[in-house]
Amino acid sequence: MKSIFNKFALLLFCCMSAIGVSAQEEMKLNKEIKRDPMLRFAQDTVLLGEYNEMLQASNDDKDSFTFSEGQLDDDEDLIQGSSSMVSSNDDYFLSEVGYLFSPMRFRIRAYENQYNNVYMNGVLMNDAERGTFSFGMIGGLNDATRNKEGATYLENNSFGYSNIGGASNINTRASQYAAGHKLSLVGCNRNYLARVMYTYSTGLMNNGWALTGSASYRWANEGVIEGTFYNSFGYFLSAQKVINDNHSISITTWGSPTERGQQGAATEEAYWLANSHYYNPYWGYQNGEKRNSRVVTSFEPTVLFTWDWQIDRETKLTTSVAGKYSNYATTALGWNGNAADPRPNYYKNLPSAEFDVWDLNYEPTDDELANWQESYNYWKASKSNRQINWDQLYFANRQANASGIDALYYIEKRHNDQMAINLSSVLNHEIDKNNKFMVGINVGTTKGMHYKTLDDLLGSNSYGLDIDKFSIGDFGINDIQVMNDVDNPNRIIKKGDVFNYDYDINVNKANLFGQFTHNIDGFFFYAGANIEGTTIERYGNMRNGRAVHYSKGSSGTAKFLSGGGKIGFNWNIDGNNTISAGFGLQENAPLAANSFIAPRVRNDFVSGLTNERIWNQEISYRFAYGPITAKLSGYYTLISNAVQLSAFYNDNENQFTYLTMNGIEKQHYGAELAVVYNATSSLSFNFVGSIGNAEYMNDVDGSFISESDTKPTEDKVYMRGAHINGTPLTALSLGVDYNIKGWYLNASVNYYDRVYISASPYARLGETLKINGNLTEGIGSDGETVTEIQRPSQFKGKGGFMVDASIGKSINLRGGKRLNINLMLNNVLNNENMITGGYEQNRNNKYSDGEDRTYKFSKNPFLYYASAFNAYLNIGLRF
Amino acid sequence: MKTIKYLFILAISLFATTACMNNFDDPTLEFPPIGNNNIGEATTTIKDLKVKYASTIKSNGYEQFTDDIVIEGVVVANDETGNVYKQIVINDATGAIIIGVNDVGIYATLPIGQRIRISCKDLFIGGYGSLAQIGIKYYNAKYSEYQIGRMSKKEFRDHMRIVGEPNTNQEELTPLEVTEEFLDNKTNKDSAPIYAVLKGVSFKEADGRRLFAPEEEQISETNTAVERNVYVGNHKVLFRMSTYADFANTVIPKGKFDIYGVLTRYRNPGSNSDSNDVWQFMLTSTDDMIKAE
Repeated sequence: MKSIFNKFALLLFCCMSAIGVSAQEEMKLNKEIKRDPMLRFAQDTVLLGEYNEMLQASNDDKDSFTFSEGQLDDDEDLIQGSSSMVSSNDDYFLSEVGYLFSPMRFRIRAYENQYNNVYMNGVLMNDAERGTFSFGMIGGLNDATRNKEGATYLENNSFGYSNIGGASNINTRASQYAAGHKLSLVGCNRNYLARVMYTYSTGLMNNGWALTGSASYRWANEGVIEGTFYNSFGYFLSAQKVINDNHSISITTWGSPTERGQQGAATEEAYWLANSHYYNPYWGYQNGEKRNSRVVTSFEPTVLFTWDWQIDRETKLTTSVAGKYSNYATTALGWNGNAADPRPNYYKNLPSAEFDVWDLNYEPTDDELANWQESYNYWKASKSNRQINWDQLYFANRQANASGIDALYYIEKRHNDQMAINLSSVLNHEIDKNNKFMVGINVGTTKGMHYKTLDDLLGSNSYGLDIDKFSIGDFGINDIQVMNDVDNPNRIIKKGDVFNYDYDINVNKANLFGQFTHNIDGFFFYAGANIEGTTIERYGNMRNGRAVHYSKGSSGTAKFLSGGGKIGFNWNIDGNNTISAGFGLQENAPLAANSFIAPRVRNDFVSGLTNERIWNQEISYRFAYGPITAKLSGYYTLISNAVQLSAFYNDNENQFTYLTMNGIEKQHYGAELAVVYNATSSLSFNFVGSIGNAEYMNDVDGSFISESDTKPTEDKVYMRGAHINGTPLTALSLGVDYNIKGWYLNASVNYYDRVYISASPYARLGETLKINGNLTEGIGSDGETVTEIQRPSQFKGKGGFMVDASIGKSINLRGGKRLNINLMLNNVLNNENMITGGYEQNRNNKYSDGEDRTYKFSKNPFLYYASAFNAYLNIGLRF
Repeated sequence: MKTIKYLFILAISLFATTACMNNFDDPTLEFPPIGNNNIGEATTTIKDLKVKYASTIKSNGYEQFTDDIVIEGVVVANDETGNVYKQIVINDATGAIIIGVNDVGIYATLPIGQRIRISCKDLFIGGYGSLAQIGIKYYNAKYSEYQIGRMSKKEFRDHMRIVGEPNTNQEELTPLEVTEEFLDNKTNKDSAPIYAVLKGVSFKEADGRRLFAPEEEQISETNTAVERNVYVGNHKVLFRMSTYADFANTVIPKGKFDIYGVLTRYRNPGSNSDSNDVWQFMLTSTDDMIKAE
């Protein structure tokens, strides 16, 4: 058997040599072709990230005042964070799931993105306010950010301390790039339609310098979702000077100025009326062109300086400093006074707002039926009826001009800018052959700047004064409390001016960490620990009339001391069987984004703010028998003392409202399995599966404050049993890889189930449950208080299959040039019914007095669907 | 190094082509984008219409227009502050009438001073509290009967044409100066609604503290209006203010005002007593209260 194999290998080697490629290189190449999409998914802001951004963008269904910085966790381009978890080991599960399950926005173990750390040359690049890494920062720079090292929570690494979602370190040192040119052209029908990317590297030259540059452009006049567009440039320049055997310095700068139109979620009713699960309510026709109301502009220019010092053969010190100034803004429609909500899918515009269509025993009157029909007909009559009517908005403003009143409709721009400087210094030392340690620090300061500007007056002559429209009815127009900026009461807002809110969040962090590894006779032991200090401060730049003494200036500084430790081992029993296990306890300071009860208006911290605590344990078993390799893992994570802030327009109070939950307990547990069966050297089958659960475990103390309240109302939020949303808790895949003569074919059948949508804390608030008669308190037989609760059910998508396939070919050209062609087909069977996530409405079916509303918010969650069939063709040329 | 230069040039040129894709010209809006721009000129006056259907209006009945009738008037009351809700009032040189529309934010396209035409055919005219209104018939489940109600947004837009730009210096915006004698004359009630001004009057409740329409003072749990009183001479005019109005929690100013708005009537259908047939006043905005000399 062995001799046959040897002969075969020899033959293969000869064949390869004959065509000028070593077997090793070919394998690497195939892997690269295959991995390329994974990395693309991991890095593009587009495909996965926008989803969460959409979630955020439309998380409130009323108004233009939607964004709370606390909710920005849902924002941005971050969901890939954990899906792109990489391992230092050759872990098939981790390397595959990120790409495989990406159409369904799969997050490993359902961890939130803040638990995944991304380092660049050893500097932690996660946003200190929200905890997440912004993949938009490196958008379109796939080739330039491909070198990376990764580690899971219970693996050792050489760069930093990993969180429960793992950590990866992108290496941008110019000498690490293969010398030569690389051109890549992409055509696809996704959020962008075309991408061109060019990378050149000198390699390490004789003079000790290495230079690498990369530029890219991504474009779509209209993406696959109607009304979206994409316009993104990326640049990357890196220079490294190897001074001598001991010292090397490197400087890198990059950025990705991007402008793109967003997609919004809608209710099933709106999808039904539009006859598409990809209906996008954010756009409308203006002069016959499609104009999107939600445009993201982002640009995060970054400079990274690195000094590598090889102190001696056993010791290396890596020191890096990174500075970034990120600009991130989203536009949205705003409206003043009592002008009607201009959003086409505003609930009052839907047929089911006419009568209760959900109560099958209800007999509508003739009028109600006629109104329903009229509304239905309107939606169905033409596409433009389902979209924003820009002409009407301009017309209203023109009328306002003629009447001498201020703008009724306008576009506002919500900015979340950030300036951050982070420094890291990491010492790796090899004590002896079997013992190593690492010790390092990460110090950073971050200033997040949150404000709103007036972007477009839509033809109006004036915006008028900076007042809160929701407060006018409560206090009267002349009251100081309606003013957003009391110190400048008569300031007329003009295009480009800051208005409504303006505050900074300052976060400082210092993290000291260490790690020790011991390796002997197949037994690998690992221990790590960190200690971290965090300070959080809000600094208000406006004196808000509803919090005159608590809005401008400093909130004071909250200080947190946190840390943790972990140990793990890896026992290679006999070469074919390996057992790994480990556990860790971690405390993290609360995220600044969750630390303030009403950040746009007030300086108040959430009361009882404390470190979040995470207990994590896992065990895994790997084996390799002949052609079969497999890994089975089980994990359990308990998160306690967590804080979560939601912000939304409260219809019953007619106020923008914040709801903070403090003391949340969540658990994540489950099993993961990956099996690879190499049937022949060119044919392999694989199975990858993740079945887990992630849920809230307790009924949480909540505090509820509207922007016009003076102090929060305490109430219980009945979250127990609600599931973590936006990722399939069941994801299974059966795949086949076939590889012959430079061709590479791959197909997989994937099954997903248990995708929950975001549970609304407002729907689970004690007060809401009481209004709805779902929470009753009585006196038991022994005089004790008996609470009876009917918990709202959480919407869950139906399970289903999706099929993906790809085909690739690598062609060697003369002169060492190489052409790679790769075509990926996603969702081949065009399953358009897979829900990837969404959110329940933060509105109640009843008014505060208990009277029923016609429209049933609880029956109408906002949903997102996985992309329909789509193709991605990538042609790469190395020369 | 040459390559680096090219790379740099490529980068710069790419950056230059990354022009903003989100630029739009303002729409020209040659015609109003709302309403039915095919409606022709007025065929009758509002007064004639009210006279023709006087008995229907007075009896709180309703009747459908079967002829091609067009009226034209200028908006004199709307929902700008939320005090007036789901209706507007138009006025021509002869009189005013309420148009009931099941829509919000109507003022955004129909501000005070906007001239519009209403093509009445297929719509209904009737009386609510014996006050003239154009709308549609609707079934009032509470009283188990049909009565005049609001037309839908779509019906309104199909039957309405916007004419010209809003202009607050128009003949139709000349209010009737209401005197005590006018109010005393009961027959005048049949001509309501009337675009009017109450000169030199003050709110009885104005004490420098009381608010226009606080929730605590609303008529009942289901009726979110608050009653305020103004006297023209000895004759009371009732203001029903909405707790949802922007000025609901504004202090009622003391002093004398000239109040511009729409004089309406409410005649309780169940009673013939004079005390159940009262003058009321519809105020669009407190901006329409001008401090009197």
